[in-house]
Amino acid sequence: MKFLDTLFEQKSRQLAQRSSRRGMLKGLGTLLVGGAAIPLLPVARASAAASKPAEEGDPNSCDYWRYCAIDGFLCGCCGGSANTCPPGTEMSPITWIGTCRNPVDGRNYVISYNDCCGKSSCGACLCQRDEGDRPPYRSDKTNDVNWCLGTSSAVYHCSTAVVVGVAFED
Amino acid sequence: MRTSILVLSLLLSTVCAANESAWDKAHFNYQMFCQGCHTPDGSGANSVPRLKGHVGTFLQTEEGREYLVRVPGSATSSLDNEELAAVLNWILIEFSGDSLAENYEPYKVDEIGRLRRNPLNEVVLYRSKLLADIAHRGDAKQ
Repeated sequence: MKFLDTLFEQKSRQLAQRSSRRGMLKGLGTLLVGGAAIPLLPVARASAAASKPAEEGDPNSCDYWRYCAIDGFLCGCCGGSANTCPPGTEMSPITWIGTCRNPVDGRNYVISYNDCCGKSSCGACLCQRDEGDRPPYRSDKTNDVNWCLGTSSAVYHCSTAVVVGVAFED
Repeated sequence: MRTSILVLSLLLSTVCAANESAWDKAHFNYQMFCQGCHTPDGSGANSVPRLKGHVGTFLQTEEGREYLVRVPGSATSSLDNEELAAVLNWILIEFSGDSLAENYEPYKVDEIGRLRRNPLNEVVLYRSKLLADIAHRGDAKQ
């Protein structure tokens, strides 16, 4: 035991002679402040981007940027909007998803084309742009099917185009 | 001394940024390939199975673990093995809640490659049988 006492005493004294007490604080401070400041540098932070981007254009017009992959009647012309269903219809939670480039900021966004269901076809503002549409054998990437799944009624009325995120780009 | 600490901080933040980027990519692939049916928070709807608070249960048996890779939505998706492993691991962390054991093994890329070569044809009955087996194991333990 005496041996251990001597060893630790010697090592403690050596450490005290070689290092300054403030050095430890300084080092720790640099690590904390430096480490906290670096993530503020301008690196790609897709998750930090606002999910509601700056937009321009007419949401009731087929050339509106969010409709790049749509196939249906625009809910904005049917008593709803690009984000909401007309009264008396129910939004399907099961949707066709694609990405569209927003001309305002040049970024691609993930768009969810939730169908509104429960009333017969709206019939106004038919818009069929279909970018990224795949044949029915890729059932998750085809917009030719009725996406009124998961609603109490499978009758299709119109389509919304909700921005749900920023597309990841390598 | 100060330089080495600065280098260490830089390294740490680079690693964090890389992890964050991989996480964002997995989330994006979930959105593009899974979310349309499984919904943004994994709740599912009607016949679409619920992931939220539940998906980790499958990792209690080897067959259950294989099931999550062999379901057609996983096995036949256009994601490559690395992307599919990342999405499945993202789903496990994001949606499992209490259903995932703390000491679970994340999916590995070569494991994904091996399992997805054998996709399931019949899913619904197989899934019920798996869950019944898992529930039975749970009862036997108590």
